[in-house]
Amino acid sequence: MSDGDTTAGGRSREAAGGLAVVAGDAIAPPPRPEPPPWSAPAPATMRAARRGDERAPLGFVPLAAVAVAFLTLPLVALLVRAPWGSLPGDLTAPGVLAALRLSLICSVGALGLSLLFGVPLAWLLARVPFRGRNLVRALVLLPMVLPPVVGGVALLLAFGRNGIAGQWLDSLAGVTLPFTTLGAMLAETFVAMPFLVITVEAGIRAMDRRYEDAAATLGAGRWRTFRLVTLPLIAPALAAGGALCWARALGEFGATITFAGNLPGTTQTMPLAVYLALQNNPDAAIALSLVMLAISLAVLVGLRSHWFPSR
Amino acid sequence: MSLEAAVGLRKGTLDLDVRLEVRSSGVVVLLGPNAAGKTTLLRALAGLVPLERGRVTLDDVVLEDAAAAVRVPTEQRPIGVVFQDYLLFPHMTVLENVAFGLRARGTGRTLARTRALEMLERVGLSDRASAKPKALSGGQAQRVALARALATDPRLLLLDEPLSAMDAGARAELRRGLSRHLATFPGTCLVITHDPIEAMTLGDQLVVLEAGRVVQAGTPEELSSRPRSRYVADLLGLNLYRGRADERAIVLTGGRRLIAADPVPASGEVFAVIPPRAVALHRVLPEGSPRNVWKGVVEDLDVVGNHVRAHISGELPIIAEVTPGAVASMRLDDGGPVFVAVKAVEVEVYEA
Repeated sequence: MSDGDTTAGGRSREAAGGLAVVAGDAIAPPPRPEPPPWSAPAPATMRAARRGDERAPLGFVPLAAVAVAFLTLPLVALLVRAPWGSLPGDLTAPGVLAALRLSLICSVGALGLSLLFGVPLAWLLARVPFRGRNLVRALVLLPMVLPPVVGGVALLLAFGRNGIAGQWLDSLAGVTLPFTTLGAMLAETFVAMPFLVITVEAGIRAMDRRYEDAAATLGAGRWRTFRLVTLPLIAPALAAGGALCWARALGEFGATITFAGNLPGTTQTMPLAVYLALQNNPDAAIALSLVMLAISLAVLVGLRSHWFPSR
Repeated sequence: MSLEAAVGLRKGTLDLDVRLEVRSSGVVVLLGPNAAGKTTLLRALAGLVPLERGRVTLDDVVLEDAAAAVRVPTEQRPIGVVFQDYLLFPHMTVLENVAFGLRARGTGRTLARTRALEMLERVGLSDRASAKPKALSGGQAQRVALARALATDPRLLLLDEPLSAMDAGARAELRRGLSRHLATFPGTCLVITHDPIEAMTLGDQLVVLEAGRVVQAGTPEELSSRPRSRYVADLLGLNLYRGRADERAIVLTGGRRLIAADPVPASGEVFAVIPPRAVALHRVLPEGSPRNVWKGVVEDLDVVGNHVRAHISGELPIIAEVTPGAVASMRLDDGGPVFVAVKAVEVEVYEA
């Protein structure tokens, strides 16, 4: 296909094709055992009917109403009792800003670490059928169900100054994790990364792998295929997993306070600040909670297209 | 241009063992029923499925040799593929899709764009360059897929059911268009289809695959005059029998004899083919010349064009093509016995 002259080639081919006549004649009656696909009427509109006429089992409506009320009432209370008058002052207090800043740094850092290590892990779990894969997946997902405080204790035993890995970090690299901002970030990563891994793995499993085959036949190597084909195709899962991961990191309390402590400006993130403020300055606690509620809502709105796909 | 492939592999219940040799440019059609292994064979040639046994060489370059553990990865094979539902990358524009292969093979951005635009022009779609695949019609998507596969100058082009996604009305037109585009391709095209009309009109050579084996290969004319398997005969609407040669007759399993006009090949196993329109039906025992007469029962009638095909069971099942008038006057739909008559000159016999 150097600089082919389409028309000329086409003609010569057609002229050479006495084929079509002979063949067309011989096969005029289509085969019987397998009716040609185009003869069958498309069974498209058969199942359109049932929607909107669902009848709920008795009692579901009131029970669901209780659930909705239970889930929304606390948020309403937060809005009703918010000290709207003193809000600007509460929010700009030095401690609050520091906590907010720290929370953003740690949660974004945790998201970054989760993406860097979690996406390759998700890919391997989804694609490579190695021995013990289910065990690895279970171990990776364990922090999701583990009480965060337990996670914090475990982190301390691993990466604490006397932890099984921490002592080496300390003596060889001079790195101390507990009670540092990096420690807070790692605590959040520990708790949040599984959310990313599980979501992205599901996304990779669900995608049509033949797109990667197509990329390979076009000359793309593995890395190029991953970057230009796989990643864009799993973008929705990546966004959902990233958002879940980040939101989980932002709200992380137990592991952070256990492993990293509660040092204002260094490890005191928003949830910790809220908890502390509740003891002596409830209004500030409410104000901080409002901020986190706003952030959560923003994430939810941003992801609505993924969780509630428009029909 | 030459492709030599011996492909042996197992996948699920499929046991693929195929030898394929193409020594000319042109279109080779791989025809076969579902699950015959057509797509698996195509994927093996493209390097998407490893061979367990065999060897693939293209223009004397070894692409894969199971015995020598040689395996050129897919991305380094000079093979273009048009996949079954085209698989255009949904997140890229049409132009980006066509330019993808060029970029992957190291062409600079600007040059790749220019070449991709040329390819799109060639398939008549330069005005859709900035569209997303979702916005294309089936026929347009097919042409974009073709342009994308051809953009990298492959030496072998593989097409997997290129027309199956089309609706009936558009098929004939698209088939002609595809045929025209394929004719401009200087290398070998291997087209997979299960549709006999597609196979006959697109292919210079036909290879029939059944249950992982090649059962027949040849030109469309050879196939339609001398089918060698039930599947091919059914596709062509012919009656095919297998038996043993015995002077001017062939003896079918069960002992029934079919008499032919020409001397049959001396050797043992033979095929006999009888076109349905050469089969006459009678309500009473016919007198005179037909050499092959037997009794049967009309099981089923279906209308094909302006003819009716009568499926007859009995000691020798056969399909007869009759006129609607004959169906009415002989009351063929009453399920009663009929006499089937076939002249000896209509029985074509050839070696199995």
